Amino acid sequence: MANTLRLYLTCIRNTLEAAMCLQNFPCQEVERHNKPEVELKTSPELLLNPVLICRNEAEKCLVETSINSIRISLKVKQADELENILAKKFLRFLSMRAEAFQVLRRKPVQGYDISFLITNYHCEDMHKHKLIDFIVQFMEVSKGLVNEQLTARVSLDMFVVSEMFILRASM
Amino acid sequence: MAAQAIHQFAECITCHAWSPDHSMIAFCPNTTEVHIYKFFTDKWEKLHVLAKHDQIVSGIDWSRSSNKIVTVSHDRNSYVWTQEGQDWVPTLVILKLNRAALCVQWSPKENKFAVGSGAKSVSICYYEQENNWWISKVIRKKHESSVTSIAWHPNNIHLATTSTDGKCRVFSTIIKGVDTRGPHAGASVDWKFGEQIAQLDLSPTWAFGVRWSPSGKTLAYAGHSSMIYFVDDVEGSPAAQNLALRDLPLRDILFVSEKMAIGVGFDCNPLIFAADETGLWSFVRYLDERKVTPSTSKASQLSEALGKLYGQSRQGSSSDTVEPSKPRGGAHENCITCIVPLRKGSESIVKRFSTSGLDGKIVVWDLENHITIPK
Repeated sequence: MANTLRLYLTCIRNTLEAAMCLQNFPCQEVERHNKPEVELKTSPELLLNPVLICRNEAEKCLVETSINSIRISLKVKQADELENILAKKFLRFLSMRAEAFQVLRRKPVQGYDISFLITNYHCEDMHKHKLIDFIVQFMEVSKGLVNEQLTARVSLDMFVVSEMFILRASM
Repeated sequence: MAAQAIHQFAECITCHAWSPDHSMIAFCPNTTEVHIYKFFTDKWEKLHVLAKHDQIVSGIDWSRSSNKIVTVSHDRNSYVWTQEGQDWVPTLVILKLNRAALCVQWSPKENKFAVGSGAKSVSICYYEQENNWWISKVIRKKHESSVTSIAWHPNNIHLATTSTDGKCRVFSTIIKGVDTRGPHAGASVDWKFGEQIAQLDLSPTWAFGVRWSPSGKTLAYAGHSSMIYFVDDVEGSPAAQNLALRDLPLRDILFVSEKMAIGVGFDCNPLIFAADETGLWSFVRYLDERKVTPSTSKASQLSEALGKLYGQSRQGSSSDTVEPSKPRGGAHENCITCIVPLRKGSESIVKRFSTSGLDGKIVVWDLENHITIPK
């Protein structure tokens, strides 16, 4: 299992490496504007074909590229109700602090759990390989958190609560 | 090492240009200003700041014989700067554009300059003596998207453009009273102003960095699908050669001679292309030697491959994390956006050139004693 995750992440890394070729590009439609084209989608010729990388139905990554911006949307695996709630809460917690992350999008794209928006300005300020490292690491960590650590934590709490309940009942 | 000098001027440089004697450099540090530095015996010192634009400066060109600087910006304006005494005096040029200007270049005779823009048009500007004013004529309705790059043919008439609609076009820019129709123009046909001479539809996606070879026989441009195109005999029957690259796409090209070109782009390392006797272009090598850090020995690579063969059982538990990518060890650390020749006198072969990029460095490269340049 571990090996397929590595392949999935390597595939995403290589895709990002090729897709993150961004440049400053002023808006063609509105005077004196400079906005991420991937969000506006006003000129179809400035968008490239989106790439969808799926590990399975529950885990996928959509990379949408334009001339001056790239949008990466992730779907984190949610095996059961508990993981669903955990993923939702955890990623909402992060999205609400999007400014602190700079490249995080406030609202995920429909059908995905969390989205990143990287513009040419981020590429000017930061190293490209560090940005890609961040995204891949984020995927790894969030997956580990949602699918293992947090779930384990909740099960532990459940165990403690039920133990106390039985203690009370037997008193 | 081919990189002769590396100067870190700013955080990020959009474009740069050299003074005629190469003692001064003008560049835009990704702001609304243009800085001019001069080299004094041992270090660069800031001499002037040209602050007139109110949006990012996207193009600078310094004319070689008339010592004028032209700047264009996303604020839709252009200024021609002339040196009077110690100061640079700006003259506003009305480009008749309603979108950002993206690139600028002086014509070979320096009596005109061309501006490519996001308004899907190209402005040709020339000086009118009677009115003491720069006039612009616009080539409209030919481009379907922003004009990313422009290049003057050595005959001072033909102008090549690339656009984000993926096409490369060649126009006639003959202006009455400015250009004289003569045998040196090369064209046998009388082209009118703004007439499209050729349209090359080779790239499936955005095109960048168009350049003519020194004689004007070959045209080269780059596509965002990691392609470089060399086109011979553009005016008559164009013969194109498409070259696919292994790595990331190019942004700009420079012909160092008739048979050799340098491409720069997202790989952060200049690429050398050369043509053989039959005129067949091929990729030679990267110009910058990178210090490759031997991170994984051959043995570990082998065991990894064996692990793949035998299934996952041999894989260590640590291998499920993707190892972080390594920083590039070259002269540039981010995308190279601009390449400018450093020509000595009137020689046709460019031995030195400079590149600038999003990492804020200007690197001067010397090809002499490094690679033989075919004529």
